[in-house]
Parts: sequence; C-alpha cells; structure tokens
Amino acid sequence: MIKKTSYLWIATACYMLLSIAAYAQNDYPDNSQLRQRLQKLASQSSNASLQSLAKTEGNNDIWALTLSEGNADEKPAIAVFGGVAGHHLLGIDLAVRFAEDIVANNKELLKTTTFYVFPNMSPDASAQYFSQLKYNRQANASKTDDDRDGAVNEDPFEDLNGDGVITIMRIEDATGEYISHPSDARILIKADKQKGQKGKYKVISEGIDNDGDYQWNEDGPGGINFNKNMSFKFPYFESGAGEHPISEIENRALLDFLYTKWNLYAIVSFGPQNNLSVPLKHNPAGTSKRVITSILKDDAKINQMISDQYNEATGFKGGKKNTGSGGDFFQWAYFHFGRLSLSTPGWWIPEMKIPKEDSVTVPNKDKNPEVNFLRWAEKEQLTNYFTEWTKVDHPDFPNKTVEVGGIHPYVMINPPYNLVEDISNKNNAFIYQLAAMQQNIRIVNVETKATDKLLTRITAEIYNDGLLPTHTQMGDRSRWLRKIKVAIETGNDQVILSGKKIELIDRIDGDQSMTVSWLIKGKGTVKITAGAAHTGNDEITVKLNN
Amino acid sequence: MRQYLYVTTLLIASLILGFQSATQAQNAQEVFQAAGTPGNPKVQISFNRYYTPDGLEALARKITNAYPDLVKLSSIGKSYEGRELWMLSVTNYKKGVADRKPGFYVDGNIHSNEIQGAEIGIYTAWYLTEMYGENDFITELLDDRIFYIVPTINPDARHHYMKEVNSPNSPRAGLIPLDDDLDGFFDEDGFDDLDGDGSVTSMRRKSALGNYIVDPQDPRKMIAVGPDDVVTTQRYELLGGEGIDNDGDGRVNEDRKGYYDPNRDWGWNWQPDYIQRGAYKYPFSVPENRAVADFIKAHPNVAGAQSYHNSGGMILRGPGAREDVDTYNRADVRVYDAIGKKGAKLIPGYRYLVVYKDLYSVFGGELDWFYGGRGIYTFTNEIFTSFAYYKNKERNRNQRYDFDKELIFGDAFTDWKEYDHPTYGLIEIGGFKKNFGRNTPGFLLEEECHRNMAFTLYHAWHMPKLSISDVTEKSIGNGLTEITATIRNERLIPTHASQDLKYNIERPDYVTLSGANVLASMIVDNDDFGVTTEQLTKTPEKIRVENIPGVSFVKVRWIVKDKKNIKITVDSAKGGIVSR
Repeated sequence: MIKKTSYLWIATACYMLLSIAAYAQNDYPDNSQLRQRLQKLASQSSNASLQSLAKTEGNNDIWALTLSEGNADEKPAIAVFGGVAGHHLLGIDLAVRFAEDIVANNKELLKTTTFYVFPNMSPDASAQYFSQLKYNRQANASKTDDDRDGAVNEDPFEDLNGDGVITIMRIEDATGEYISHPSDARILIKADKQKGQKGKYKVISEGIDNDGDYQWNEDGPGGINFNKNMSFKFPYFESGAGEHPISEIENRALLDFLYTKWNLYAIVSFGPQNNLSVPLKHNPAGTSKRVITSILKDDAKINQMISDQYNEATGFKGGKKNTGSGGDFFQWAYFHFGRLSLSTPGWWIPEMKIPKEDSVTVPNKDKNPEVNFLRWAEKEQLTNYFTEWTKVDHPDFPNKTVEVGGIHPYVMINPPYNLVEDISNKNNAFIYQLAAMQQNIRIVNVETKATDKLLTRITAEIYNDGLLPTHTQMGDRSRWLRKIKVAIETGNDQVILSGKKIELIDRIDGDQSMTVSWLIKGKGTVKITAGAAHTGNDEITVKLNN
Repeated sequence: MRQYLYVTTLLIASLILGFQSATQAQNAQEVFQAAGTPGNPKVQISFNRYYTPDGLEALARKITNAYPDLVKLSSIGKSYEGRELWMLSVTNYKKGVADRKPGFYVDGNIHSNEIQGAEIGIYTAWYLTEMYGENDFITELLDDRIFYIVPTINPDARHHYMKEVNSPNSPRAGLIPLDDDLDGFFDEDGFDDLDGDGSVTSMRRKSALGNYIVDPQDPRKMIAVGPDDVVTTQRYELLGGEGIDNDGDGRVNEDRKGYYDPNRDWGWNWQPDYIQRGAYKYPFSVPENRAVADFIKAHPNVAGAQSYHNSGGMILRGPGAREDVDTYNRADVRVYDAIGKKGAKLIPGYRYLVVYKDLYSVFGGELDWFYGGRGIYTFTNEIFTSFAYYKNKERNRNQRYDFDKELIFGDAFTDWKEYDHPTYGLIEIGGFKKNFGRNTPGFLLEEECHRNMAFTLYHAWHMPKLSISDVTEKSIGNGLTEITATIRNERLIPTHASQDLKYNIERPDYVTLSGANVLASMIVDNDDFGVTTEQLTKTPEKIRVENIPGVSFVKVRWIVKDKKNIKITVDSAKGGIVSR
C-alpha cells in the first residue's frame, strides 16, 4: 500500500515536471529554468555537451555548452555569450535559443564549426529580475565595500513606495539640477542654463541614507560585474570593477576554459556593446602607442564587412554604437585575446515617429531615449513599465516634497517576451552567415615536376577558402593563436633537398593563398599537411614523379 | 640566563640523542660572539651555500620549532607542480594581535634562476628570532611589527634551476608549459647538457668563417675579431647554448621550459604578451602570484614590501612602466627616496634606481601592483654585482675570469672540451657554470644576506607607529564637554600612501571614543584658529581619518555628554591598533 502511494507520488511529480517543461515560456528563464533547458538539450542531442565551469559566489553555475559533430576542439569555433551584463535577460535567452535552434534546425553546420555557448555569465545578478525587489543589478554576490569606507553593504536601496521595483526619487528643491522633459513631463532631464532653464528637482535613486553620510544607496548587496572585471582598460577602484582584473570566479573560470580552445576564432556577445549594427572605426592615434586602444586597420575592414552582413541578416535599423567601457568583455576578447569580437544588444527600441495627422504629441526633439521608450511602450500596449510619481514621507527630507516614480528597471533593454522568438531568429540568421564566411585552409594547385629520375619538385598553394582572414591583424600579434603549420612527411629513402620540413605561416587573408615548394630526392609518396585548429586543416598525399 | 637555559637544554637533548646534536652546535664555552651576529644560535645554518625548496622548508621548520612563540609556518598556496608556498610569519606572538600589527612582506626568487632572495628570507627569519631578546632594536621590531617572509614564491623552477639542465640565465620562467614557437607542441626543444657537467655552457666550432679567436693569454676567453684585424690563429664560430635540435625542425633550443615571465603577471596596468613580452594569460594567471595577491588582499596590515631578484646591484622602485609615471607623486617619492638612498649606503655597490627610466619600461611587475594596486611601499633588490669581486666600481669583463682563477681557484669554469655534435659535427663545449655570474659566490653570501636584510629592517622600522597623546577635556557649558586628542605617527611611512588616498584603496583610520554619549565629532584642522571639519555620520563616536601622515599627527575632537570612563582607540589597517 505504501509502495503504491509512493509510485503515485512519483508519477504525479513527473507529470507536473513534464507539464511545466511543455508549458510555453512567457517570461525570461530564471537560473533553474535555464539549467533545465540546457540539460534537456544536452540529454536529447548527441551534438551537445554541457559542463559547469564554476559555481559563483552566489552558488550559481557558469554553464558552457559545446555543440559539435565529431571532435569539437579540432574545428574552427565560435563562442556565443549571454548574460554579459546581468540585467540583460534578453542576451541569456538569445544565447540558449541559438543553441536550441542549431541543434534542431542546422546540425549540418556542426560538422565544420564548433560552437561554445555560455548562456549566462552573470547568474548572481540576473537572479535579481526574479526576486521580490527588482533593480538593474549587474553585480555578482561577492561582498564588496562599494564606497570603500570600511563598511560592507551598509547602504542598500529601499522600496519606499512598495511597488517591488527600484525607480528614482525626485525632491522639490531650488538647488536641484533637474526639470521635466518638454515633450513628456514624466521624464526628468538636467536643466540647461544656456537655454534659460533652472533646476527644480534633486534626483536620487529610491532609498534612504542608512549610514548618515549624505550619500544614498551607495553600498548595497554585491558585488562585481562580469563586464567590468576584464583586463582591457580596467577601471581601477570603481564600484563593481573588483580589486584587480579577473578577480572573480566566473571571469577566471571562463578564461581558463577559453585559453585551452586553440580552435576559437570568433566571439559573439549578446550584451550592451555594439559593433555589429555600427562597426568600430580605425583610429591611427590609438594604434601608434605601445598600448593599443583602437581596432587595427585590417580588422576595421573586417568589422565593416561583418556589420553589413548583420544589418542585412537581421533587418534591424537604428542601433546605437557602443564601443565599450573599461573592463568589459567585448573589448577584452579583441584587444587582449586577439579574437574577432562581435557584440550586439540583440534588440533595441525603434525610434518612434509622430504621424502627420497627430498634432497633439509634442515632438521628441532631442531624441530622449526615455521619452521614446514611453511612446513605444504605449503603442505596444505594455503594462507595468512605469510608476507614476507619488508622494512619500522620507525620513531624510522631513520638510520636503519627495515623490517616487519613473521607468521600471529592465524594460528598456529587455523586450516583452513574446517578441523574443522573432528577435532570436534574426540574430541566429546572422551567426549562421558568419560561420559561412569562416576561414578554411586548403592545399590546392598541387603540381609535381621531375627534374631528374629521382628528383621531384612539388609546388602547392595554401589557400584560404573562406572570406575571413585566418588571423585577425590583432590575433597575428597574439601568442594565443597558432600559426598555420605546413609540414611535409617524408619516408626513409626520401631526402628534402630544398624547402622546409615545417613551415609556419603567420596569416592568410580571406580568398588569398601562399605558394610553397619542395625539392625531394627519392621514390614513392609524401604527405603534406597544412592548417591550425582555428583555420581548419587539410592534407594530401603526393606521388613523386618516378 | 638564556645561554644557561640553552646549555641545559642542549645537555638534556644530548643525553637523549646520544650526543648527536653536539655536532650541530658549539658549546657556549667554545665560542666568542662576533659583533652583530647571533653568538651561538639555537638553529645552525650555513649561509655560504644555497638550498633547494626542500632544503628551505627544512630550515623553515627548524626555525619554527626552535622559536614557536616568534614564528608560525604556513602555506599561502600551492605552486603549479603542487609544492607548498611556505611563509614564515615572524613577530612576538605574546604581544598584541599578530595580524593587526603593521606588516612587512618579503619574498624572493620570482625569477627562477634569481635564487639569493630565498636565502636572504631565511637569514632574516633566523636573525630576527635568534636576536630577539638579545638586541633592543630587533626586540622592538618584533614586538610591534610582523614580518611575512616567503623565501621562494617560485619553488618549482627553483628546483628545476638547481637540479636540471640549465645555464646561469635559465629558466627565468615558471614551469607551466607554453608553445613558444606556436607549432602546436609545448616545450619540445630545450637545452641539453651534452658534456654532463651539470650546466648549460656554450658551443663553439673551428671554422675559417668564424669571427672569434681564443685569447692567447687565457684559453677560457673568446675574443671577437673585427674586419680590420689580422688573424694568424684558428678562427671559431659560436653556436649558442649547449643543445641539439630535439624536434627536428631545423632550430636548436627554440621551445624551452616556459616561457612566460612571472614578473609580468601582476594586476596593475597589466598588458598582454604582444605588448609586454612574457605576460601569461591574464593578471594573476600564474598560480604562485595569485597566492601572494590573495594573501596581500586578506592582509591590509601590510604596509611595506620587499622582493629579491638578481643581479646587478640595484635597489629599484616603481613605476615599472613609463605610462605609469603619474601614479607616483611627490609625497610618496620622498618616502621612497629616504629609504632607497639609505639602502644604497647600507649595501655598497648597489644603486637606488627607478625601474622605467634606469632599467627598462615594463608592465605587470610585482612592485607596481603592490604600490599601484594596494598602496604598499615596495622595493625590488637586484642582488649581487660585479662590485663584489674586487670591491671596486670598475666594470671589466676580465674581473670574473680573474675572480674565478684567483679567489675560487677555477671552480666556476668548465674548460673547453671536444664533443661530437649530431648536427654540427666536431665542436667544443665550455664556459662558466650556472652557479656563477648571477649567484653570489659562497664566501660572500652571508654578507649579501645581512646587508640586504638590514635595508629591509630599516624599511620595516619606518612603517607607521601610532600613539595617542595630549588628551584634553574642556567643559563648554550645559553639561557638554569637548574632548580633544592628538594621534601621532612617529615614523616615515603614512598610514595611507598618496596612491591609496587618491583611490581610497584602504579604509580610513578610525579614532573611536567610548565611555560617553557622543553628540558630534570633528577633525581639528587648525587648533589655534579653531578650524575644524565635522564628521557627517550617524556614528559620531567613530571619527574617520583619511590619513595619519609620516612623522606628523592628526588632531580629533568629540563633543560629549554623560561622560564616564572614556577610552580612545585608534584602529588603522596599516598602522595597527592603539588605545588610551
């Protein structure tokens, strides 16, 4: 009897789990839903293998999914990243959807390209989206003294109006610097003295001054941002950066993994930075010093070409460039890791135009993104994206009018979930196009010529069949991308009279080739191999002319 | 008294061990103390030879076992090959809280073949413990400071340098394998000790095309010949360091152990390999350095640091990179100069220099992270200089040949001998052995250790020493009292370097009043004119002082009521805790 009951329980539990899994998702996945999706993918496909690189300080997994047919590490590889910024839930979903899509619909590609997918690099921070108190958190769970005053987490946000989200406070005060925006009074902007404007409000994030230092919410829970802890232009001693680059478990675990992947040539990030809809420009001043701070000339051309492909593949318009900030991942991947580094937020709010027949709406002359957002949200009939300004009694401002309100966290960079499928399909289409341009080393135009009975001259061209170069110009300088190795294997009775047994070639541009030749004394056949893990390998057997 | 106790212990030990230990130490009646050196130390160590990582550990244990109240031995982490990174923490553990005293960090041997630092570290721990209670200066140092000494932060490659095939210059790197020639293989073509003398020396070959001849007055030496020289003797060509083409790629010794430079790995203005040759993957990707960084981050009491390299006789301060010049401002340079110039006096033949302009401009060095990243005044000493050969400043390449012949009787040189090389045919192999040129010769080593230690102790002495004085109480009516106190720093180093102040690296110093109801508090900027800065805080009893400058003071004031037994406590991360 007892046994039967427990069977029933298990069956019920299984049914419940299945029904949860089958139920269409209507919001971004939290960490446990992400884990379920990844585990499902890995268990259902022989092309997918899942590993946890590390547990973060907040005890969340850093997942790495390897997608490949055959030996993953021997093929050129692209890495795809989500959760680069912890409040960018869209990026997480786009990364995992990409993995799901390629396994379901584009398996053939896995024979020639390996994909390493890291769906969430900021799991401690992204969890905030699903918690009781929502705010734009990017920091992990490391305990930090954000204001460096000796006390840890002593002044967090407070949800003063009880709406579950942290917005802002405006305090009526003649010394304040803010006024209402002329085309939407709900939005606050800085007063411009040049235009005869005087400030009316002080603006502070929602909360109280817990430690009495006349600063508000300057040291809350957490932590360090994944996207601020990398080594390129590391922002020393800024809040969220860490005490030194790569101080965090997740940053370190990721790099330890990436540095073993000699086959990796491109990194696609879904994150705040954007060099896909608008390419980076070469700046000679940034490449003339010892420390390089501008994309190199040849690489800027590649970026332009890829960017054109992105805009064409996605059909997206109006994306704003974001060339990066100190300690970010996107710049690290290029400047310090030498890989082709591509980043896109994946989606942005379209610019709202006022129809000609509308004479009521005040034009958003300065293209204020918040005003634009509110207009878009209204058109899309979103709910729950703005808290109207309401008065609160604030202990720090006893005799002043204090109102809490404003745009909710998350909503300006994460679209409503029903839009995500379409966004994902468009971004996936781009990644497939990128893989189609991949560099590919082949040995072509092999000729043998007898100069004597026992002497054979072999000439061949080492050809890059792809559109991308075998090495970015930066990668050519890096010790972390291998050279193209051309080697000839000869037998016992064969002697190389001229030509190198092993030749290392720095770089071959897209659709370009290099000629190699050998003079061999002997009979039979020799084997020629060419390539490197990230360029693809080719080999041929050549019969000597006798 | 101490001597008497020691003799008694020795007698008991001798009975137990069957007089074995009598061979370890002298009877007190048999010795006479030389000034400045422990007269009859409990722990006997020969400072005229070098020790492997195992040897260093054994010495560290002897010191720790002999002086359990003065030394704790711990490991701050593991090396790449799994060796422990041993640290001797030396202080008077019976006084104060050890890790809250101003701390001085010492390490050595970050470069594998630069070995003397470990012996200096051991010498320092030995000297401090043996002289505690015997010498007032040392006693005071251990009463109010703590020394964190890691003799070697690179034990794997130290072991490799001593026990495997190497030249005086190899390995510099740690032992994590790297693909130097980017052919897909790791460390596949290193040196080979072809003549079996334990060192990698040089290869030369008789050749009519060569540009060298043997010095007719000294067959050890090679002389370069120029285009105008008339050569009447056998010409030679030089073929580089001893080795063969192990991987058959037509090159000799092109992918050796390593190569990365552990001193390009530190997290201040780190740059990747294409900009800074020798950088590994990312800041602190070398596990030994990571262990040091984690220790330092967990020990904000460290206020001074020293790292020992070789060679050249230099006392170096940052910045390491030209790009970092603005990091070091005038106030801090004054502190560096005072200590560095003293060092140049204490260690004849050594020069006080700045890395980026006097040596080379380099990113990711240890001393830059200690200063730039942590605000810790740090020096790097390049141990040993040819000055030591004949105690003169002449820099003449013949000196080392003369020294080898006249003072160490040819012990440092392997004479040229013929060898049948698989690629080069009949060649000759010979040259200076690996323990000569950079390593201090045995009979000079104790002096080297002592002088460098003396420099480090001077630096450690000048870490902040805080005291509370001139506490005054003044009634200001209505039951209110104004309490004023002066917080002094008697030494050269401030509680916060200017780099620290610029970025608030370390928290402020706290000056806290207990035993009264504190209503407000302030820093007294100018007592005579009544200029003060009030503290904006909900906890006015705890005054936050951003810095207590070197050889200077800060005045603080509280306004209180309901005064009982008042107590003032200064709590400074780098200056320690004092109460009154």
